[in-house]
Amino acid sequence: MTLTLPETCSSERVAAFWRQVMPDVARLGAGDTLTLDARSVTVCDGAGEALIVELYRRSAQQGFAVACQDPDKFVTRTLGLFDVARFTEDPSTVNPIRNTHTSEQLGQAVVHIYDDVCDQLAFLGETAVSAFSLLVRPGRLRLRDTMLHFERAGIDALPIVLLIGFLLGLILAFMSATSFRQFGVEVYVADLIAIGLFRELGPLITAIILAGRSGSAFAAEIGTMKVNEEIDALTTFDLPPITFLTLPRVIADTLVMPILSMFAILAGLFGGVLVLVSIGVPAVTYWQHVIAASSLGNIFFGLLKALVFGLLVGLVGCSHGLHTSRTADGVGRAATAAVVGSLVLITVSDGIFAVLSFILGI
Amino acid sequence: MPEDTVIAVEHVDAGYDTPVLESVSFTVRKGEVFVILGGSGCGKSTLLKHIIGLNPPLGGEIRIMGDRIFGGAPAERERAMRRFGVTYQSGALFGSMTLLENVCLPLESFTDLPHDARYLVAEMKLEQVGLKEYASYFPSDLSGGMKKRAAIARAMALDPAILFLDEPSAGLDPVTSAGLDRLILRLRDTQGVTVVMVTHELASIFAVADRCIMLDKKTRSLIAEGSPARLRDCPPNAAVQAFFNREAETAPDPQRPASPSCPNLVSPKESL
Repeated sequence: MTLTLPETCSSERVAAFWRQVMPDVARLGAGDTLTLDARSVTVCDGAGEALIVELYRRSAQQGFAVACQDPDKFVTRTLGLFDVARFTEDPSTVNPIRNTHTSEQLGQAVVHIYDDVCDQLAFLGETAVSAFSLLVRPGRLRLRDTMLHFERAGIDALPIVLLIGFLLGLILAFMSATSFRQFGVEVYVADLIAIGLFRELGPLITAIILAGRSGSAFAAEIGTMKVNEEIDALTTFDLPPITFLTLPRVIADTLVMPILSMFAILAGLFGGVLVLVSIGVPAVTYWQHVIAASSLGNIFFGLLKALVFGLLVGLVGCSHGLHTSRTADGVGRAATAAVVGSLVLITVSDGIFAVLSFILGI
Repeated sequence: MPEDTVIAVEHVDAGYDTPVLESVSFTVRKGEVFVILGGSGCGKSTLLKHIIGLNPPLGGEIRIMGDRIFGGAPAERERAMRRFGVTYQSGALFGSMTLLENVCLPLESFTDLPHDARYLVAEMKLEQVGLKEYASYFPSDLSGGMKKRAAIARAMALDPAILFLDEPSAGLDPVTSAGLDRLILRLRDTQGVTVVMVTHELASIFAVADRCIMLDKKTRSLIAEGSPARLRDCPPNAAVQAFFNREAETAPDPQRPASPSCPNLVSPKESL
């Protein structure tokens, strides 16, 4: 078999040539001779060199001989640059990560989860110790940073919290009014909205907004600091990252949540009054029912939940930030994990609050 | 324009909103290792970003092998962009891909090569930079020097005529840095590639550079051009002298002549 190499052995020309000749070359075996005519070659780039290496590699594997006509030494030069014997394996199959067995992947996942739990527990312990040490030396808290995070997590989030709270009250009123009207008790929609917002939906929707805004931002900020070795710099200055970075954020989140939650509840109540007034319930009656339903127990229960949700969002965001891997996609993954982790913990703790309120009769 | 000119920079004002460099002109010749020098903040990287087409300059014209990067037809820009490869300071390898996949990426985008051919080309490029054994590794598993070499392999995947290197020795130890210098020279000698480097590592400059230009922050201009040995032995002004003698910068004035006055030495390298 004779192969005349193209005049221009560049990737554009080699692509078609490769597809055309390789099936024929694959049929060659021991005793055959491949005559490689490189007399017309004037240009040979990386793709041309790969073609030559591939032909010689196949010659070694299939046992056929290669006779080369190469006056300008393109083939000789390529074989001088690359040792064909080193290219015997198909490189596209060499990937230790993706070729692991399922059982190995399962084992790796279990170890990963175990490590993650250990990291989270260690982080929780360190944060608790740092928080207690603040009680002894309150001056170590970076008040300016805390206020900055208070502003970012609280004041900056106010428009979206008000909007979502308002729409929530509006939707809740619409949905319940339709059913209540059938029984002529639409005035009790006010009680439903007040109890629902104070005890459950106000803190929950605010926590979800906070997780999306602040939780992810904390993870991304701290994660980027870790990638840039800023966390290492803090450690060498004997400034514990937990005290320096985590506590201001967690304190800000914890304190801002009840306030934001109250704004969301108020906005929701205003959303509700619009609907009820539009269906003929007087505004005064609505507010009387709201005040009657808003017992101190309901309000404090809601605020306590908001406080805990804020604490969880702050802790989860900072924890994922501090455990970011030092790669570009690590920061993205940390931010995603912070939001997902916060939502799961918020839901779980909400469930625990529901059970507790049932047992304690609050 | 001489026939062997591969890059022509003509009266370029470099900068984003306000110029950090004004009316810079120079040419790069085929097959040479050309170094852009200058102190921190003088506009080296900004100029490089204009040349490789990331940001348009505030004025002037840049041509890569006759084709304009900015101001011409889209096809002209595309032709120019295909002629060079770039490695960035950090390596800029994609962390979610193995080295082999990183090198394969431009081949997938710009060529019609079959799958096995692409992978073989990529593997050969990694062999050229001494990283064939690490083909299946992820960038996070590699040292700084290995990342730089892998980035060079990726930049060379399409066999560009010109290779741009932004601070290739930054953060590397002298031995690794010297290895990288040898790799650059080998690529130039075996592939015939023209290398344009931005650096301020003196050891690297003397090891690889055929010619260099020096930019100055104070005058916002090109203040010297020539071989590194000539600039060191016969500095045209105080700023160049301070740079090559590693003198602490107390804002040396490029308009002040070098002292002692130029001994008119011709370096052994140039006399050859």
